[in-house]
Amino acid sequence: MRWLRNPWLHRVLGLVLGAIFLYAAHAKILDPRPLVTIIWNYRILPPGPINVMALYMPWMELLVGLALVTGFKRRGAAVWATVLLLAFSAALLVNALRGVNVACGCFSTSAEDVHNAWLLVLRDLPMLIAAVVMAAFPPTRAKTTDAP
Amino acid sequence: MRLGLGKCMITVGRQPRRGPPGRQCDRQHRCEGQDPKQEAPASRHRRMVPWPLGMRGLCRDTALFLVATLVLGTAANLVPGRQLAWWGKGHQPPQEGVDFSLLDPGSASALLGSLPRVAFLDTRSQAEYAAGHVPGAREISYTDLDAQLTPALLAELRAADAVIVYGASGETDVEQLLAQELRRRGLPPPYVLAGGFGAWQGSDLPVEGSGR
Repeated sequence: MRWLRNPWLHRVLGLVLGAIFLYAAHAKILDPRPLVTIIWNYRILPPGPINVMALYMPWMELLVGLALVTGFKRRGAAVWATVLLLAFSAALLVNALRGVNVACGCFSTSAEDVHNAWLLVLRDLPMLIAAVVMAAFPPTRAKTTDAP
Repeated sequence: MRLGLGKCMITVGRQPRRGPPGRQCDRQHRCEGQDPKQEAPASRHRRMVPWPLGMRGLCRDTALFLVATLVLGTAANLVPGRQLAWWGKGHQPPQEGVDFSLLDPGSASALLGSLPRVAFLDTRSQAEYAAGHVPGAREISYTDLDAQLTPALLAELRAADAVIVYGASGETDVEQLLAQELRRRGLPPPYVLAGGFGAWQGSDLPVEGSGR
């Protein structure tokens, strides 16, 4: 399992996952109002906290994306990416089990962008694995000595 | 030169070897005041931090993300023009009989033939609309409604004898949400085409557009 701690693996995973998060965040940050409808359509949260999620979640996605791409606090960002992806997957899974295909709100704020919920769960899985690898297996640091 | 706050230091330029506090060390790690015969300490290696020991820094980093998110999200919601209620109020699901009435394609077609001013609103994507839509339908996507539902359009819809909203199929409820939004803006509850455009096409009713 040592290869999971390869710094280059973490850089590549960070770049790819970070780019995905940045792409996902941009439309929602520009206008969070359609996101309220999308979250509501999941029919999981009560009306109260829906707006709170729509207000703050895109910013978390943006910060996580930036951190993963740049490598600044990458492990902390990977922990949040894991939490977000687990939450997204759970919400999609609930609707997949209900037999409802929802607009996931992943990369678009159109409530009509409906996909098969099972496929969306499957799409989240590789991202979730990448986030878990970055969070749970921090890269081995290069050995340094005090000698110049 | 060392810059920074607390333990977060940035070291600039060539630095003296670090030894015990208050003592300078040479390249062989022999420190000032140390017996020259005494063996220099072994080079220190930065080692992998075991999982439980790295948790403190990780908790601090995750908390940092949370605080930054709260600050940015709150600041962004104070910008005029894109404000959202802090706590979701009044976001109730659209209800049939209150926000809209369902209408099957046959009845919608009959309404179109019997009433002079029937307005159709198409909530599908631009490409789907261009490929084919109900004759005379107006395209309204369920995003940026403030820009699309202009006072002129709302006045036009109020003057219509019937407003019928439709989506791609019966699977999505965007058309119901748009109907609810129209009712909130003072229109009588519109009709929603049951089964959407798919059912309209399936009933062999007239279609307008490039993909006929």
